Amino acid sequence: MKRLKKFKPAFWDHRDIAGKHPKTSFNFRRKWKLLVLFTSFMALLPLFVMTLVDFSLTRRVIEDEVKNSMSKILNAAVSSISFSTDLKKSALDYIAHSDPGEDNDIFVVNKDGTLLTTSFYYGKSGTPNAVNTKLFKEMAGIEKDVALNKKPVITGYARIKESSLILVLTKCEEELTDLWLKPRLKLVGYLAVSIMLILLSIMGTSTYLVRRIHSADRKRSEALHHAEYAKKLASIGRLASGVAHEINNPLAIINQKTGLIIDLLTMKKKLSSVERIVPLANDVLDTVKRCGTITRRLLDFARHMEPSIESVDIKEVIGQVLAFLEKEAERRRITISVDIKDTIPNFDCDKGSLQQIFLNLIENAFAAMEDGGLLTISINFKTKEELIITVSDNGSGISNEDIDKIFEPFYSSKNDHWGTGLGLSITYGLVKEINGDIMVKSRVGKGTRFTITLPLKNVEEINDKK
Amino acid sequence: MSKRNAILTAAIRLSSPNGFKESQSYSKSNITKNLNFEMPSKVLLVDDEKEFVQTLSERLQMRDMGTAVVYGGKSALELIGNDTPEIMIIDLKMPVIDGIELLKQVKQTQPEIEIIVLTGHGSEQDKKTCMDLGAFAYMQKPVDINLLSDSLKNAYMKIKAVD
Repeated sequence: MKRLKKFKPAFWDHRDIAGKHPKTSFNFRRKWKLLVLFTSFMALLPLFVMTLVDFSLTRRVIEDEVKNSMSKILNAAVSSISFSTDLKKSALDYIAHSDPGEDNDIFVVNKDGTLLTTSFYYGKSGTPNAVNTKLFKEMAGIEKDVALNKKPVITGYARIKESSLILVLTKCEEELTDLWLKPRLKLVGYLAVSIMLILLSIMGTSTYLVRRIHSADRKRSEALHHAEYAKKLASIGRLASGVAHEINNPLAIINQKTGLIIDLLTMKKKLSSVERIVPLANDVLDTVKRCGTITRRLLDFARHMEPSIESVDIKEVIGQVLAFLEKEAERRRITISVDIKDTIPNFDCDKGSLQQIFLNLIENAFAAMEDGGLLTISINFKTKEELIITVSDNGSGISNEDIDKIFEPFYSSKNDHWGTGLGLSITYGLVKEINGDIMVKSRVGKGTRFTITLPLKNVEEINDKK
Repeated sequence: MSKRNAILTAAIRLSSPNGFKESQSYSKSNITKNLNFEMPSKVLLVDDEKEFVQTLSERLQMRDMGTAVVYGGKSALELIGNDTPEIMIIDLKMPVIDGIELLKQVKQTQPEIEIIVLTGHGSEQDKKTCMDLGAFAYMQKPVDINLLSDSLKNAYMKIKAVD
């Protein structure tokens, strides 16, 4: 059984989870069985038929042979019983007087080859040296020869006992082969049809297979596209609710401060002092500013949802992403340490993709960590043209079995964090889209480190002032 | 009080605007001297959003209520051990000990304290959780002061009715 497992193709146990409905899912095993059955049937059928034909032919030949030998024995018996000169005479008479034709050219020659009776192929009675008798070595036999009209013929001969005469029977070779032509044509025709059928079936199945694979592939990419879109929407949803929370707090402050101003103006018996109200109004203005910052941040994020290449400052991108998560980090006492080389220039990239990548990775790290964890982000040069970015956490880590699959779509080791198991596959897709590369190293219980390499394209000259 | 928390509290005291302090005792505004028996005299406000909670506290005091302010779940638990409030107003999203956890602990140890949840990030799920845990009311920021004081009045009436 173990040996068999080696030959098991990868699709054998593959379950298509892209299509949740059985109608749209692609059952590779069933398709494979169907194909093997169909092609085997088409290829083996002619073989079976041919064997059957051959079998029946052989049987007929053997039967004929048995019949022949029986009739020979019978004939010999009859001839020996009714042996008489009369018979001899009439036989000789028949040979001498029969009109030789194409089918049945029987004649008698003497040992020099002079015709004693008329032959269709060799000439009239009395023609000397018409037949090359040197060919006739045995008492009787069949030889190939050439007739007067240059036609190839097959000549059967038998020396008449106690005389120098030879009885000769000649038939045209073509005529003999004619007998074979029909079955041969049949066989060749059959072969041709079989070959055509086999070729057609192979072509048909291949086309079918490729078409199925193609459509499955298309369905898969559509599903992934949808999933990616859903993930984007989900992340917008999460951002929106986070922003709503963040905005509600300053709104509550504004609410209370203005309320207090009104209270001071209306409830106090004496007119309230300016020095009490002005700072309150200033506080309101500051809080409005705080709201403005939050909305600007969200707007900036929303602007980069559509892919567009622009010059980006990686520090700024990381900062924007962290701004969204700082509330959660604060609440869960997660320390975030950012180490970015100052000399990293602006370069051309899709800012939205970068934001999404870091948001996914950091959210992922947050999910893996207990409260009070440590998240480290570092950016450095790998070479002059490449950046190396690492996002590492000291969370639960990923097991060796899981680590090969984490970039696969729909694979989720966290039982139900965001539910889709798509975060990392989308991150992978996004990194690949901006010509980067992503790798992961992890140890269970110690933490996980994602390493991204990014090409530095169209580097902007760094301002010396900075 | 742990050392860390002491430092935190000190920091809060230093950074508090208007010299406002995290008050460890329930104070009342001196605007209205007459006692109002309809209003609770011991309301504890728990929220990490300092400016908000200070202002709210001041306004509640102006409405004849005695209020105290703390900025986290931990200090709230310490305070109610010493001086039990009648009503607590708590935020949900707070560092270290969040509102739900605080609500759970308070209801376990001192179920007689009525709790009003006041949060800026309320989902229906959060609301259900809080009500199931025994919160008196669940309100969304920004809240209208009249609605909040009505709710406080109702909570106080409930306490009085029990007594």
